[in-house]
Amino acid sequence: MPKMMYRDAVVTTIAEEMARDENVVCLGEDIVGGMGTPGGPEAIGGIWSTSTGLFGKFGADRVIDTPISESAIMGAAAGLALSGKRPIAELMFADFIGVSLDQIWNQLAKFRYMFGGKTKCPAVIRMAYGAGYNAAAQHSQAVHQILTGMPGLKVVMPSTPADVKGLLRTAIRDDDPVIFLEHKALYGMSGEVPDDPEYMIPFGHARLSRAGQDVTIVSTGLLLGFCEAVADRLAAEGIGCDVIDLRTTSPLDEETILDSVEVTGRLIVVDEAPPRCSLAGDICALVAEKAFAALKAPPLAVNPPHTPVPFARELESAYLPSVDKIEAAVRKVLSYR
Amino acid sequence: MANIRPFCMPKWGIEMTEGTIAEWMVKEGDAFTKGQVLCLIETAKITNEVEAEYDAVLKRLLTPASEDAHPVGALLGVFADADTPDAEIDAFIAGFKPAETSVAAKSGSSAPASAPAAAPAPAAAEPARAPRKIVTNRAISPEALKLAEAEGVDIEPIAGSDRNGRITYQDVVQATRPERAAALKGSATLIEDSAEAFASPLARRLAATHGIALSGITGTGPRGRISKADVLALVKPTTAAAPVFGAAFELVANPATVQPFDKIRKIVAKRLTEAKQTIPHFYLRSSARVDDLIALRKTANVVLGAKASINDYIVKAVALALVRHPDVNVQVHGDAVNSFAHADVSIAVASPKGLVTPIVRQADRMHIAQIAATTRALIDKAQAGKLGYEDMDGGTFSVSNLGMFGIENFDAIINPPQGAILAVGGVNRVAVEADNGEIAFESRISFTLSVDHRAIDGAAGAQFLQTFKNLLEAPEGLFA
Repeated sequence: MPKMMYRDAVVTTIAEEMARDENVVCLGEDIVGGMGTPGGPEAIGGIWSTSTGLFGKFGADRVIDTPISESAIMGAAAGLALSGKRPIAELMFADFIGVSLDQIWNQLAKFRYMFGGKTKCPAVIRMAYGAGYNAAAQHSQAVHQILTGMPGLKVVMPSTPADVKGLLRTAIRDDDPVIFLEHKALYGMSGEVPDDPEYMIPFGHARLSRAGQDVTIVSTGLLLGFCEAVADRLAAEGIGCDVIDLRTTSPLDEETILDSVEVTGRLIVVDEAPPRCSLAGDICALVAEKAFAALKAPPLAVNPPHTPVPFARELESAYLPSVDKIEAAVRKVLSYR
Repeated sequence: MANIRPFCMPKWGIEMTEGTIAEWMVKEGDAFTKGQVLCLIETAKITNEVEAEYDAVLKRLLTPASEDAHPVGALLGVFADADTPDAEIDAFIAGFKPAETSVAAKSGSSAPASAPAAAPAPAAAEPARAPRKIVTNRAISPEALKLAEAEGVDIEPIAGSDRNGRITYQDVVQATRPERAAALKGSATLIEDSAEAFASPLARRLAATHGIALSGITGTGPRGRISKADVLALVKPTTAAAPVFGAAFELVANPATVQPFDKIRKIVAKRLTEAKQTIPHFYLRSSARVDDLIALRKTANVVLGAKASINDYIVKAVALALVRHPDVNVQVHGDAVNSFAHADVSIAVASPKGLVTPIVRQADRMHIAQIAATTRALIDKAQAGKLGYEDMDGGTFSVSNLGMFGIENFDAIINPPQGAILAVGGVNRVAVEADNGEIAFESRISFTLSVDHRAIDGAAGAQFLQTFKNLLEAPEGLFA
């Protein structure tokens, strides 16, 4: 299997799908990269280099630089999807979603329902999210919790280059709106990616990345790697951790979580969003409700504090769940008397 | 104070940390006299009567008889003169602090005694678990505070888990429980997703365990995924052979009757498990010709007017052999071996409440009639469930005899801290080659010595066993 970076998995998959299906189109701010500069198109590349080369291959009709208006991007994506295209809209920073929420939440997510199932809305909305880049409170947020709570949207959070490829292809071919959340700090992550141009990972199918029988750790995105590091560190002490990568937060793979907790009896959910009404809280509640009898200790959520993401480097690293915090959480549930 | 005295959970021996009140023999308000039995207290090891040490009235009975264990030093009742006003008793209970129950203070004292009158004792160093009022400015939930007061939990060391360190009910419950290490099961083999089939992680693991191919299975899980139920449905049940004759055998309901371990069973289970798991046992087997012993016993019983059983002679022979082989007459304590000049022989007795091991002390110095009388008394006490701590504490060697059940021989588990135990089988008539080459019959007893190899070596055990065997075969030696 070839190795490639997370960001390259995004570009490669989009390129493969655009080549396969001419209805696939891309739009977003500066995705051509360099349009209007002295160097011309593609002189600079998008800020995340997640659309490099697409303009040259597919031209201005299918790779569309938009004005700086998130609501226009989402509105256009909604219209394209309704009229039979498969738009891939990019939101440069997930934090900017607020201004386009009507298009996403009230339109895209609800078309199929409002039209009584007589239409479909095959749009993909990609966005870069997450902290760790010193980008301050308005450019660092994890927004999956509000989107996961919206019926009508599917929400994907890949944690490896291979999953980017398998899940993005599924998202593009899906007939419903899919939110595709790419973690900024993972763009440079390198990993093996299947070559197969038909490689797809179904939604709602979590991945077990470490197998153990003492504690279940559920996570996704950037933090999954932290959880794996903790599991590897603790395995040496004989503490076995099942590390579950959710891959998609909607639909949620309840079965895999419950199956695991029924073996381990202990649950930790590691989530990058603040604790209130969070994915972590939701999964803890799920397990408390459906696997109460299997629990040996209360489920434990590891979230950042209920504050905006801080700017200062030290504060930002104190804010994020870390390997040490996750390890402490594992030890805490294991020491429950 | 008008002669108000607390009655607390006594401490009988080093290991006692708590006891339960099995039965009260006096009711609240009853007057009692010195020497009268007040109640029965059950510990992990024994049930014992508590006798009054003076005349008084049980003014307040605070802990009725129940299964609940109370820690050593816990206030069980209040004794006072009959005319003591209730208000004074209440004040006494409110102000009561359990006395320090350090190990050294009472170990070795075998007489059950109520705790000394409670002087305003300094706060005990160990966590006192008696109810008390808590005054604190820590943030704590009302129910948590109530629980902490009822259980006498010191809340200061608790790190509250609620916002801003507020102490929750769960935090207090946790503080009342001993620390424990989780039983770990460790890592498992990771079975990666494969393109071959769409299956949940657990379904994959199960399929690998049972050697089932996933490719042909139709998934019934979410989005058509193969889930554990789909795999388990394919695990082949073990098939029974077809019946040979008659109607097919039909099962009737056979529910388990659940009998939770009682105190004695729990302690027997714990100590035997410990012994068998931590002591490196080795076993020496032998047998002895006992025709002479059987003959001599009849005569001796008539002459001495004793009713000594074969087992009493075995105890006597064991005791004599032990003093001749002091390296077997030992207890093992940690890294040290304690050896003794005299043999305290524990005898295993099946009592209605389970296995007990009362001790015939200094059996080597007793003549056979004394051993018989002592043993009889101990067995009677055991049958009545009245063995005291002093009847069972210590011992340098054990004898367990199942001969009366027709057992030929067996291996016993060492009764710690003792170094060895002798398992004795029944008398068997055995055909042997006589001196003149013909076949003759003789009576033999088989026995197995279980030995703690940390303290006693094979040769030492064997020499002991040889002496023992010689004593049984030439029983005049038992009267030397």
